[in-house]
Amino acid sequence: MEGDGSDPEPPDAGEDSKSENGENAPIYCICRKPDINCFMIGCDSCNEWFHGDCIRITEKMAKAIREWYCRECREKDPKLEIRYRHKKSRERDGNERDSSEPRDEGGGRKRPVPDPDLQRRAGSGTGVGAMLARGSPSPHKSSPQPLVVTPSQHHQQQQQIKRSARMCGECEACRRTEDCGHCDFCRDMKKFGGPNKIRQKCRLRQCQLRARESYKYFPSSLSPVTPSESLPRPRRPPPTQQQPQPSQKLGRIREDEGAVASSAVKEPPEATATPEPLSDEDLTLDPDLYQDFCAGAFDDHGLPWMSDTEESPFLDPALRKRAVKVKHVKRREKKSEKKKEERYKRHRQKQKHKDKWKHPERADAKDPASLPQCLGPGCVRAAQPGSKYCSDDCGMKLAANRIYEILPQRIQQWQQSPCIAEEHGKKLLERIRREQQSARTRLQEMERRFHELEAIILRAKQQAVREDEESNENDSDDTDLQIFCVSCGHPINPRVALRHMERCYAKYESQTSFGSMYPTRIEGATRLFCDVYNPQSKTYCKRLQVLCPEHSRDPKVPADEVCGCPLVRDVFELTGDFCRLPKRQCNRHYCWEKLRRAEVDLERVRVWYKLDELFEQERNVRTAMTNRAGLLALMLHQTIQHDPLTTDLRSSADR
Amino acid sequence: AAEEPGAAFSSAWRREEVPEKPNYALKLTLVGHTAAVSSVKFSPDGEWLASSSADRVIIIWGAYDGKYKKTLYGHNLEISDVAWSSDSSCLVSASDDKTLRIWDVRSGKCLKTLQGHNDYVFCCNFNPASTLIVSGSFDESVKIWEVKTGKCLKTLTAHSDPVSAVHFNSMGSLIVSGSYDGLCRIWDAASGQCLKTLAVDDNLPVSFVKFSPNGKYILTSTLDSTLKLWDYSRGRCLKTYTGHKNEKYCVFANFSVTGGKWIVSGSEDNLVYIWNIQTKEIVQKLQGHTDVVIAAACHPTENIIASAALENDKTIKLWMSDY
Repeated sequence: MEGDGSDPEPPDAGEDSKSENGENAPIYCICRKPDINCFMIGCDSCNEWFHGDCIRITEKMAKAIREWYCRECREKDPKLEIRYRHKKSRERDGNERDSSEPRDEGGGRKRPVPDPDLQRRAGSGTGVGAMLARGSPSPHKSSPQPLVVTPSQHHQQQQQIKRSARMCGECEACRRTEDCGHCDFCRDMKKFGGPNKIRQKCRLRQCQLRARESYKYFPSSLSPVTPSESLPRPRRPPPTQQQPQPSQKLGRIREDEGAVASSAVKEPPEATATPEPLSDEDLTLDPDLYQDFCAGAFDDHGLPWMSDTEESPFLDPALRKRAVKVKHVKRREKKSEKKKEERYKRHRQKQKHKDKWKHPERADAKDPASLPQCLGPGCVRAAQPGSKYCSDDCGMKLAANRIYEILPQRIQQWQQSPCIAEEHGKKLLERIRREQQSARTRLQEMERRFHELEAIILRAKQQAVREDEESNENDSDDTDLQIFCVSCGHPINPRVALRHMERCYAKYESQTSFGSMYPTRIEGATRLFCDVYNPQSKTYCKRLQVLCPEHSRDPKVPADEVCGCPLVRDVFELTGDFCRLPKRQCNRHYCWEKLRRAEVDLERVRVWYKLDELFEQERNVRTAMTNRAGLLALMLHQTIQHDPLTTDLRSSADR
Repeated sequence: AAEEPGAAFSSAWRREEVPEKPNYALKLTLVGHTAAVSSVKFSPDGEWLASSSADRVIIIWGAYDGKYKKTLYGHNLEISDVAWSSDSSCLVSASDDKTLRIWDVRSGKCLKTLQGHNDYVFCCNFNPASTLIVSGSFDESVKIWEVKTGKCLKTLTAHSDPVSAVHFNSMGSLIVSGSYDGLCRIWDAASGQCLKTLAVDDNLPVSFVKFSPNGKYILTSTLDSTLKLWDYSRGRCLKTYTGHKNEKYCVFANFSVTGGKWIVSGSEDNLVYIWNIQTKEIVQKLQGHTDVVIAAACHPTENIIASAALENDKTIKLWMSDY
């Protein structure tokens, strides 16, 4: 029955009410009164109820009591002891300083660990100290009793040690308030200058009951400890050499403290220190590393939390291998629901994955004393941790030697048989070159036309104006027919239609930009692109220069300039004659030079594009050809010919 | 009377008489993968050999000289299968990272990544027109993808166990899929309807299926070291080929039709087995690998066999025969 006397139920007759003297109300307590209106507490063995006032237990005190036995029962049976609760709601009551029964009961209290923190917390040394000294530390598996009724004249901050999934709140470690600053977890903390990668509580603050085994800290004299505790999570670099020393100092301090409270200290951690053999964290442990730590490789004393050599059999390679398999199988089984066993897979991928991860760890884990020898040729120094070489130089030397050894042989092998891809490549190159040739000739053709056109235009300009001829255009133009402008949509007279549309188009086009980031740099091309720099968009205008409505305005036409457009008969045949009308008036051949020039330029641009494409192709083929027998390719791959006569597997007919 | 399978194959006779046995001999060994090779395929034009591996890369070799050509990088996990398009310009690869990738062989770039499967993608193939890709996966489904857009057109809830092989027939109208549940199903490629189910063996996983070149027969391989040739329209098993060992891995098997008519398959006893299609007897066993021969491919025009082995070996061997 819970000794929670706050709700006193009407009790059964206890042993004190020996005489049912016919009174209506049953009587209780040592005072034998039937008064039940005050606070009462019930004995868990005799079930008698006692007034709090009579036995000097307040309600508050009782709140913290879990099991309570009356004085008589306790005297009769020395084994019965009052058990207290260790709850947040625990409060200390300064009034209980008087030595009364509760004090004696307090004597039965377990206060095994003389935690210095706790002493400090409790405030006055004398009272508590005396109390503590009186208290005989008795071995109890259950968590040590807190200082429930410990008097303290001045209340320290009530440390409500919270409980959580990983904190019991009652053990030594949970009671600590400060991080030690020396263990690996502390050193990882930001406040101690660490990288905050591990992110765990201080080792000394890992709850002895509830924390993960590998996080805990055990003083060296205690039970075996899994070495992986001090190892960080797999794949992280191990602590460097400096680290063990400060922690080792700490260890000594701890051991001293531990000595004070001798057996009591040992037992709780031991009880909870059953190392879970093959938990996930332990699996990637390297037994070599463990050996090294045990042997005190870093310093004389070794790490306090790993100095127990009993553990070597615990994690010998065989066990570790088994550990590996366990995890391996577990992971597989997770994936397959029914009987999809791993044998159905094409290859053991998971295994490979794991193996891949293992190897770098293995290298990482070695320490200088038993590191492998550097693989550099002729080098007798130890390799760096995490590497196969003692220095970059050695690595380079080895790589160079390797290349000298293997490469000539590979090159020979390569050249033994004709490379068919090479032949293809060569053919391709031939073709590309031919095409490039043809493109160039086309280009030349274009240039020629360009020049021709210029000549024509020039000549036309030199003609005199003969306005009289053909002043009235032979137009039976229907002036009532209205054409709609393509750009603006307004109806216009067909006679001026061309002129209008050109102007209209230019007007709209000039509002948009069309450019690229790069200026044109083509050798041999006189005038192709407009290339006017637009500072806003940082682009060069890529319209044809002759045509660009944005950047080239139509030049003012002087009054006497002749149109000069070569006249044609039946669209294609040149008559050799030129239009003599003044340019300003000629409506048929409006802008003819511009358009012709543009035509030629466009062709040229096209040919340049084609050439560019061919260059690109050629470049690709060339790089493919060079890379094929490149250093890397040769070193990584090999083709062994078993039959020196048959270098080409094609039957000769197909070649 | 049922048609003899041998007569149904298109012939490419080199000699007048049909020789009894081929004389495949080891010609080239291609070294270069750093992990087990999972699949080898010849390109339809016969120029290249593509090999996929557990080291997450595909390597392309010259088919005739065995020289290394190119490596395709891109997958995050091991690759289980690779297949060529009919014009030999594209490859599709199926990987454990639940995706398929379409590669352009010439440039070596990955054109598209096809995502949609929920588990390892195990097998893949193009259709003869190379407009579709069919893939089978550990998530028990078969998906049909469009090459151009990379979208999944259809998902067939094909089986109740991982799908181990998918193949189009030579017309591109049918898909055959085999799975560990012991069934072989034939689907209409256009509609996705299941046309036929062959219960190859109730308890035994089907590790490989393939249409014959003329499309009338299916070759199935089960994990009891048996290869069977079925007339699927009638659902009858016509021939059975045994003698090799296949109890664990999904080993490829092939029809060799360039010279004599053979069935070629890898085996878990490190040999390549060749059977006469008609007589079902083993006509040759090719020795040379040091690990399970998981893949064997036949050249489309020459009498060349390519075989690949697992991680103990990691090489691809090219064998040539006169007939």
